[in-house]
Amino acid sequence: MTTAKLKPHFSRKLLAIPYALFLAIFVVVPLFIVLYYAFTDDNNVFTWDYLILFFTDGGSLAQFFSSPIFQTISLSLFISLMSTIVCLLIAYPVAYIIANCKLKNKSTLLLMFIVPMWVNFVLRINALKEFFVWIGTYNKSDAWNIINTIIGMVYDFLPFMILPIYTTIIKIDKSYLEAAKDLGATAPKAFLKVTLPLSKSGIISGISMVFLPSMTNYVVSNYLTYRNVKIFGKLIDDYFSGDLWHDGSFVALVLLLFMFLVTWLTGGFEADEQSETRGTSLW
Amino acid sequence: MAKATSPVENNGKIIELVDVCKQFDGVTIVENFNLYVRKGEFITFLGPSGCGKTTTLRMIAGFELPTSGKILLNGKDISALPPHLRPVNTVFQKYALFPHLNVFENVAFGLKQKRVETTYTDKKGNTKVKMEKLPKAIIAEKVKKALEIVDLSGFEKRSIATLSGGQQQRIAIARAIVNEPEILLLDEPLGALDLKMRKEMQLELKAMHKRLGITFIYVTHDQEEALTMSDTIVVMSDGAIQQIGTPEMIYNEPKNTFVADFIGESNIFSGVMPKDNQVRFCGKAFECLDGGFEKDEPVDVVVRPEDVIITSPEQGILKGKVTSVIFKGIHYQILVQCGRYEIEIQSTSAPKVGESVGLTVQPDGIHVMKKVFRVNKFSGVITKRNTVEFGDGEFECDVTQLYPGSHLDEEGYLITAKGEKLDLTDTEVNVEVGLHDITMSDDPDVGGAQGNIISLIYKSEYYRYIVRTENEEDYVLACEDLWNENDRVSLIVPKEKIKMTLKVAEGGKQ
Repeated sequence: MTTAKLKPHFSRKLLAIPYALFLAIFVVVPLFIVLYYAFTDDNNVFTWDYLILFFTDGGSLAQFFSSPIFQTISLSLFISLMSTIVCLLIAYPVAYIIANCKLKNKSTLLLMFIVPMWVNFVLRINALKEFFVWIGTYNKSDAWNIINTIIGMVYDFLPFMILPIYTTIIKIDKSYLEAAKDLGATAPKAFLKVTLPLSKSGIISGISMVFLPSMTNYVVSNYLTYRNVKIFGKLIDDYFSGDLWHDGSFVALVLLLFMFLVTWLTGGFEADEQSETRGTSLW
Repeated sequence: MAKATSPVENNGKIIELVDVCKQFDGVTIVENFNLYVRKGEFITFLGPSGCGKTTTLRMIAGFELPTSGKILLNGKDISALPPHLRPVNTVFQKYALFPHLNVFENVAFGLKQKRVETTYTDKKGNTKVKMEKLPKAIIAEKVKKALEIVDLSGFEKRSIATLSGGQQQRIAIARAIVNEPEILLLDEPLGALDLKMRKEMQLELKAMHKRLGITFIYVTHDQEEALTMSDTIVVMSDGAIQQIGTPEMIYNEPKNTFVADFIGESNIFSGVMPKDNQVRFCGKAFECLDGGFEKDEPVDVVVRPEDVIITSPEQGILKGKVTSVIFKGIHYQILVQCGRYEIEIQSTSAPKVGESVGLTVQPDGIHVMKKVFRVNKFSGVITKRNTVEFGDGEFECDVTQLYPGSHLDEEGYLITAKGEKLDLTDTEVNVEVGLHDITMSDDPDVGGAQGNIISLIYKSEYYRYIVRTENEEDYVLACEDLWNENDRVSLIVPKEKIKMTLKVAEGGKQ
């Protein structure tokens, strides 16, 4: 029937249009702009110069490993790695305890860890800086600067680790644990064999929520180290504020590569097998 | 066969529950549970949801600890033993298969936890005993066998999510039996399957039970399932055992109206026993095989629909009109109205609707049982003052319970949730008052009704009194204090304990 065909048909897919537009304008197009700047020179001519410059620091390939860029990247990776590990070590027990406590109002307890996020983050980092000044570790040595940066990152990103882990643990059906115990597993064994693997998706999204931002959040490192610790994000910032758009774009691409690598390593590209934990990766 | 028992001897009993009670936040879920199960038996806990059957099973598994009482396994007290140390395994209601493990890993889970004693000689030549894991080859062997038993050979590598409900069910069973438990606990394991699958699995489980020789304790609310599979059925209600027996016994000789009603279809009548082997119900006397009641003792009478015989109107003890005939495949379901009573009949031949028929029941088709008082039921009328008159008395009550969300205005009219104004005067209501909600006083003015105690029975925790008023209304109540027979008492019922529902046109079924 022709009349039926003419009827405007509302499909739920239409709801995706605003986001698709946003994605195109603010993600895809800028990505191509970055790509364009990374492989062109000031005269808009294609060039490998910035790639070569990045890996050779103006000399040979061997010089890369002693270049300031390499040092920044490896320091940044180290800080991110340590921040993530410390976050995980703190967040998992916290999430586990909150999820399993017998209190009726678990969300209130959880809120205690999230409320700090409501205070402006620059303010918090400044307060932390004053605290470091007070106890005397502020800008005391290179090692202290790194430690202080890690503490700052953990302080800032901890809720992002707690939340996804909490959501996965609370969703684990208690009957799995009972089944494990029924089959002869002691409580610690049941935790290792059941709870831990079943909360894997939460751990993974927590890791990517902490690891990637702590590579770029140079506000933390700047404030807490008197600009003595330079991380990946600061490197990009330096290029762009120094009007070195092509260099900056290439480094940004490298960072992007890291992000893909981390996402791939943590299995972020795999389709979520368990529908119950869907959405937790949004955190 | 299992029996409610006193813990004296231990011949062939694999598990025994002695005076087991379980309370959650002060609410009793399981009360004075006494039961033993013999080795190799297939026993089923049957009851409606909330009757405590799953809680009892969970206490045997070790997930819940009894508030009081003992659980003995092979004569040893295991009441406080954690689940992982008990030689029992459970098949869970929703299977609880580990989603992150494949079929093999799921089934092997229990075996991997197992440690066996091995003796070995160390370098110095001393013989020592240590606990060792089972060798991988043995685990693989056992898993393979278990999968064969449940008919899923070759499924080892499959992930749980790819299995159908029935297959998951089988894996759950394999995961439990691979550990060779002394007792297999099954918590409504077939509840999630469709009817056809369920029937198949019932027969398979029964065959499996025969083959394995493991004791099965099965929980279900499905009476047909219980009848099909069990050696012994434990019918439960309100946390207490109602009857224990073989499926035949439970069906043919239900101990009380609850069992009769829950197992199969039943006509349940209120009757009296004028003498042994005779019972009066529906206004007629019937011959029966029961005796031992007091003269004219009120009783409940249960007649199974298939035991009612349709005769010509002249030959029947009861006469009535056929009101409905429904074809059910094997038989017809026929409803006959005999005066106030509607009687359900199952028969392979069907009369016509509207036909006059006679009904008789053979003596062995009549099951007489003692009346159990759960609650006092009265017919009542709301008065002008928003009190309620029932049972030869007048009591203060809360009329707002008749209409959810309603309240009273200053003049005593009821305002419903929608804002309608109602005058409840002369409204007829059904009133229910619990046994424990009535108290007695010797001051005649404090209570809403007055009467004399005509009976008291000691019920181990309390005395059960029957108080009869002038106009022969009976109140049954429980009281811990001792009163004397014939004492004149007034009866107090707190306002909030009077449960009222509006009277609607009642169906005829007694």
